[in-house]
Amino acid sequence: MIRPFSIVNKTYAWLDERTGIKRLVRRTLDEPIRGGARWSYVFGSALLLLFVIQALTGIFLTMYYVPSADHAHVSVAYIQKAVPGGALIRGLHYYGASGMVLLLIAHLTQTFVFGAYKKKRELLWIVGGVLFLLTLCFAFTGQLLPWDQEAYFGTKVGTSIAGEIPVVGHLQQRIILGGPDITSSTLSRFFMAHVFLLPLALGFLVLLHVYLFRHAGAAGPFDNREHRADRFYPKQLFKDSFFFLLVFVALVTVATLMPAALGPQAKPGSDFLARPAWYFLPLFQLLKYFPGRLTLIPTLLLPGFLFTLLFLLPFFDRRHERHPLRRPVATTALALVLIGSGSLVFLAKYQDKTNPEYNAKLQHQEELARIFLKAQFRPQEVGASAVRASSSAAGSLNSNAEPPKEFLATCALCHGDNGEGNDLGPPLQGVTAKPNRTRDDLLRILDNPPAYGLKDPMPVSFPDLSADDKRLIVDWLINLNKQDSPSLGE
Amino acid sequence: MKINLVRTTVKIPSYQSDPDLDELRDAQPPDSGGRAELAVSDERRSFLGLLTGLIGAGISGVLGITLGRFSIAPALSASNASEWIDVAPLAEIPEGKPTNRSLVVSQNAGWGHFSSDQSVWVVKKAEQLTVFSSVCPHLGCTITENAGGFGCVCHNSAWNGAGEKLSGPAPRGMDTLEHKVESNVVRVRYQNFKQGVAEKSVAS
Repeated sequence: MIRPFSIVNKTYAWLDERTGIKRLVRRTLDEPIRGGARWSYVFGSALLLLFVIQALTGIFLTMYYVPSADHAHVSVAYIQKAVPGGALIRGLHYYGASGMVLLLIAHLTQTFVFGAYKKKRELLWIVGGVLFLLTLCFAFTGQLLPWDQEAYFGTKVGTSIAGEIPVVGHLQQRIILGGPDITSSTLSRFFMAHVFLLPLALGFLVLLHVYLFRHAGAAGPFDNREHRADRFYPKQLFKDSFFFLLVFVALVTVATLMPAALGPQAKPGSDFLARPAWYFLPLFQLLKYFPGRLTLIPTLLLPGFLFTLLFLLPFFDRRHERHPLRRPVATTALALVLIGSGSLVFLAKYQDKTNPEYNAKLQHQEELARIFLKAQFRPQEVGASAVRASSSAAGSLNSNAEPPKEFLATCALCHGDNGEGNDLGPPLQGVTAKPNRTRDDLLRILDNPPAYGLKDPMPVSFPDLSADDKRLIVDWLINLNKQDSPSLGE
Repeated sequence: MKINLVRTTVKIPSYQSDPDLDELRDAQPPDSGGRAELAVSDERRSFLGLLTGLIGAGISGVLGITLGRFSIAPALSASNASEWIDVAPLAEIPEGKPTNRSLVVSQNAGWGHFSSDQSVWVVKKAEQLTVFSSVCPHLGCTITENAGGFGCVCHNSAWNGAGEKLSGPAPRGMDTLEHKVESNVVRVRYQNFKQGVAEKSVAS
C-alpha cells in the first residue's frame, strides 16, 4: 500500500530509530487473544483505565484540597460548590471508587469462572489479589479526607475494628491514627497513604500484573473448542474501549445527577449514625451476628480465611480442567461468597430501612447533608481576619460560660458551637427577644419542636436529652441574649 | 484503497496441552509481508481503529476540558481590589515626612478569606495627601525611604519624595493608591499593579 510519506511518518521513523517504538507498539497491539476477542475480557482494561481516571482526578483535586483538620472540609466544600467543574471531578473520583470495586469483582469473577488462575498464572493471580486489597485500602484512606461527619465516624468505626485485634490491635490502631484518637495527624497520615504510598504501590503492581499477563498470554476460553485467535488490536481493543466508554458515561451521569456526598464538617462529640460504603457492608452486617469476643470472626478471621483461600487457590486447585461446570466445588464456593455478600449488603440496607429509629436518623442526616450541599459556599476566615471575626462573635456573647457539652453534642452541628448559626440552622443569639421564645417556650420547644411549627431539619424530638440537659442548654441560651449589631462585614 | 478480503481468524493447532503462543505472537502482520493466514482485514482494522480512536479522543476531551477549567477558572476570577482599609488618623501623619504604615489586606483566595500585612507610604505636603504602594513597579521588591526620597534596594531604582522616578530600571513612578479621609481617618483601597510596564494599570 502506498501512503504519502507525511511528516508524521517521518517523525515516527525518526523516533523508532532511536526508541524501537514500532516494535513495542506492534507487540502491544498484535498480542494474540486465544479463542478470539470477547466481551468477557473487558474488565481488566477497564480497571486499568479507571485507575488512570482516579489518578488524574485525584492529582487535580489536590490543587485545592488541604490535608488539615482545620481546612480539609472547607477546601472540599470549595471544590464541590465553587470551582467550575469541581463537582464533576470530585464526583468522578468519588463514584470511581465504587466503580473500581465493582469492576474488580467482575474481573475476579471472570478470571475465576474461566479458571484463568491455574498453572503458569499463579503469580498473576496473587498480584491481582494484592491489588484487590490495595484498592480497599484506597477506599478506606480516601473516606476520611473530606472530614465531614460521615468521614470522621466511618473512620472511627473502621479503625476501632483494627484496634480490637488481640495483642497487636491497640498498637496497630495508634500507629494508623498517629495517636490515641482521630486528629489532624490522622488526616495527614491518611492523605500521605492515599496520594503517595498507595498509588506508588498500586502503580508498580499494576505494571507487574500486566507484564505477567502478557508473559503468560491470554488464557482463552475454558472449553478449548474454538481453535482460533484474534489480535488484541483492533477487535479486543475496540471492545475494551467501548465498554470503558459505557463506564465513563455512567460515572459522568451519576456524578452529575447525584453530586458526591458532602455533609457538614465533622463534629467529634456529636452523635452520628455511621454506615460504611456498600463494599464494606457485608462485614458490617456480620458484626451484628457476632457479639462480644466473637467479633473477631467477621472482622479478622473470616476475611483473613477468604483472602488466604484466594491467594492459595492456584496451588491446591491444580487440575487442568477449566470448565466451570466441571469444577463444581470451586464454582459453588464462588457462588456462595458472591450470593452471601450480596445478601448481607441487602440485609444491611433492609434492616436500616425497616428500623424506624435508624431510618429516621439516617434520613435526617441525609437531609442535613443535602441542605449543607445546597447552601452557598462561604470562604473560611484565615489569619488576622479570622481573629477579628471570632472576637466580634465572642463580643456578642454575654456570658463567659462555655457552651454545655449537651449543646455541643446535640445542637452545635446546625446552630454553631456558640449558637452563631451556620448553613444548616439559624443563629440562636438573642433568641429570647423573638416572639414565643421565653425560657419556658424554649424548654417546650426542646420537648416538642413541631408544636412550635419548627420543621425539618429540626428534629421532631430529642430522646437523648434529659430534662436536666434541656434546662442546662436553655439557661446557657438565654444568656446569649445580647446580640451586637453586626460588626463583621463593616 | 484496495481492500483485502482475508479471513479475520487464524487456525492454530490445538490447545489441549498448554501451547506456547510465542510463534503466534511473533508472526508478522500482512502489511509487512508476513504470513497471509494471520491477516486481518485492512478495512475492518481501520474502521474499528477509527472508532477506538474516537472513543479515546472523546473521553480525553471531556476530561481535558473539565480539568483545564477546574485549574484555570478560579485563577482568573479572583479579584484584586480590597475594601476600604483604615491606614491611620490624619493627625498622625507629619507634614512633609514620608510615613510608613502597615495594613492588613484581606483577599479571597480559593477556600479562604486570607489576611496579609502590606505596607504603604503616606506623604502629606501642604495638606495634599498621597498614598504610595510600597511595591516596586519594576519587579515587586519593597520600596524604602532614602536620602533623596525613596529607593528600591533590589535593583537600585530611585524616586524623589513625590514618587517621580529619578534613576534605575523601574519603568515608572511609584504607584499611588486610591484614598479618602473619613472622619479624620485616612483610608485606602489596596491594589496590585502590573509590573515592568511604563503605564500604571491594575493587575488582573
